[in-house]
Amino acid sequence: MTPAAVLFSGVEKTYRRPRLLGADYHTALKDLSFEIPPGEVTGLLGLNGAGKTTIMKLITGLLFPTAGKVRVFGHSPSEGAAKARVGFLPELPYFPPQVKPAEALAYYGRLSGLSGASLSAAVDSAMARTGLEPHAGKRVLEFSKGMLQRLGLAQALLHGPDLLVLDEPVSGLDPLAIHDIRSLLAGLNAEGKAVFLSSHSISEVEKLCSRVLIMVRGRLSRSVTRAEWEAARGGLEKIFVEAVK
Amino acid sequence: MPPRGALLAAAFLCWGAGAYAASAYRSPFPPPSEMRAPLEGAAGDMLALAAGARRLFADLWFVRLMQYYGAREMPAEAEQPGHEGHAHSVDGLGHAHCDHDENYGKGRYPLFLPMARHVLEVDHSFAAAGLYGAVSLAFGLNRPAEAEQLLAYGLKYSPREWKYLTVLAAIGYSKAQDPAAVARTIAPLLKDPDCPVMLKQLAAFLNKKAGDYAAAAAIYADIAATSRDEAYVKNARRELEKFSSRAGSRR
Amino acid sequence: MRRAAPVVLSVALNSFSESVRNRFFTLFAVFAFTAVYASVLAGVMAVDQEARLLADFGLALIELTALAYALFGASSSLLREAETKTIYLVFSRPVPRWAYLAGKFCGSMLTAALMLAVMALLHLSLLYFRGFGVPEAYGWALFGTFLKLSVIVSFAFFVSLFSTSAVSTLVISAIMWTLGHFASEARFLAEQSAGLKGFLLGALLWLVPNLQLFNVRDAGAALAIGPSALFSAAAWTLSSYLGALWLLSRKEF
Repeated sequence: MTPAAVLFSGVEKTYRRPRLLGADYHTALKDLSFEIPPGEVTGLLGLNGAGKTTIMKLITGLLFPTAGKVRVFGHSPSEGAAKARVGFLPELPYFPPQVKPAEALAYYGRLSGLSGASLSAAVDSAMARTGLEPHAGKRVLEFSKGMLQRLGLAQALLHGPDLLVLDEPVSGLDPLAIHDIRSLLAGLNAEGKAVFLSSHSISEVEKLCSRVLIMVRGRLSRSVTRAEWEAARGGLEKIFVEAVK
Repeated sequence: MPPRGALLAAAFLCWGAGAYAASAYRSPFPPPSEMRAPLEGAAGDMLALAAGARRLFADLWFVRLMQYYGAREMPAEAEQPGHEGHAHSVDGLGHAHCDHDENYGKGRYPLFLPMARHVLEVDHSFAAAGLYGAVSLAFGLNRPAEAEQLLAYGLKYSPREWKYLTVLAAIGYSKAQDPAAVARTIAPLLKDPDCPVMLKQLAAFLNKKAGDYAAAAAIYADIAATSRDEAYVKNARRELEKFSSRAGSRR
Repeated sequence: MRRAAPVVLSVALNSFSESVRNRFFTLFAVFAFTAVYASVLAGVMAVDQEARLLADFGLALIELTALAYALFGASSSLLREAETKTIYLVFSRPVPRWAYLAGKFCGSMLTAALMLAVMALLHLSLLYFRGFGVPEAYGWALFGTFLKLSVIVSFAFFVSLFSTSAVSTLVISAIMWTLGHFASEARFLAEQSAGLKGFLLGALLWLVPNLQLFNVRDAGAALAIGPSALFSAAAWTLSSYLGALWLLSRKEF
């Protein structure tokens, strides 16, 4: 049986903030269980502080669960075998301003284990797919927010991952850039890649995803399929508002 | 990745191994308890220790010592410290010159010994400073006992320093009123880069006084060629001119 | 391990190129150039000891400038990567944390080596223009400085993983550097002191790396950097690295 792209089982995440005497604790996720099958586009909706970014960081091994189990393609997220199959786009990714996009991509490609001709090919392909080719001669400091987001997406695609984890991929972009990124993600999904994206834009999630998870104060409030929100009056927006109220 | 506990244990083990390997090391420098800096210099000494820059601070103390003693010639006024005991002349361009003789540098300079000793307290290996101090005390300030004290301190941390022993011997001959022996004793020191120009000057003067003009001229030529102290260089050139005019008049 | 070597190299070269491209690098280089050449003034005052003073002044300035830049880099490197989220792009890839840390450390040491080389060239050119040759044990003095930097930079990486800001890392590391130069004097005091005081001082000495072991700049040719000094430098560097790895291995971003 093919393992799920992502499996959360009874996951809890509590942040500890050390203070002069003792520490402050804040529970971001409580008893969270869900599964993302391979090849599916899943959206993550929630208000600020609902735990969306925490989930993404748990999947990419940047955070460790306080309790419960997280598995990515059957592996612990800290394992190389899991990370090799995941591409991550954090919100507002940063690249050194003096470098050109191909230089930045080459660095991350090498970190993903690519080298030589395969590295060059991966960089060229990622640049082409994200529409960065015309800007290859520019330095990052000349990039607009949309171009930076494309570069962020390009670094996530470099090593041909089976799962893309995207934190707010269209936030702050102009309509054309949003359209381009939406087309790109649809294309990737058509190739069989799973996409897990968080967003504040219900309409975007509605257009892209086949299933949506709605988080409320660290708990999974609802898991809604496309068929459900298409059948519901008021669509996904109404379901979301009802869930978070 | 090994277990975290093992990482921590390995870190402690490595630190301990490093400290153990270093435990045999002993500093070659005099201990701080021997530093008797004048009060205003205490902060500098702390900095010297904290930055591991004893050599640099010894250099700075040496510069202060030279400034205190008046390393450069001062014009005309014989009342100025260090210039009371020798004659002054004014050249054709109106510049005043000290006419150096064996009395050069005479003066009181009560802090000279503690300052000179302090240079060695900070960096015992600064032989040039030790020699400069000892030669100035013995032959410039006529305080051979203090010079011997300074050399004895230098020898405590540099027991094989032949240059200190040479100057000690020269002081002995000087006390015995044997200038020829003084000149003979310091001769091997003259070519050493640590030899203070003042000692060269003294050697030249003693040779000149003994009538060995060739030896004196050779030393003055060496001073003119190697020293960066303008006063000594000018004096050496003047002496060389005197020698050549004397040789010319004989011809 | 073999697969991690290119990762170490990539992180090191990236860290090196970022350090060199940093505008502070140019600022430090200009400072070093000005300071080394300004030491001519002090040299002139030393008259016949000008060569010695220029050599000592230059070597001390080279070390302090390289130390300041290396500590500046080491104390802010990991923090900056976390703040800019660059580290997300690194640790979401199959990059072992030990390899990343080793790469960061190597990058810092490459930068330090470049700084030392550039400043040494500046310094030697000054000595040449003033008519002096290469000072005795010059290469060893630079090597000793490099070893000191290695010990203190790895310590700064360790501290940066638990301190709250780059400034506090900088201060703690600078204090360690100072204590490291006091270690020999402290040993003397410990050996002179009897009873509990001597024991406590002696015990304290085990916590501080004795940087005088590598201080050829100060002790001159009399100090030879032998196998035990090299071993100590490697052991202290490795210890701080392992300590840093211990913290990094469970650090969350």
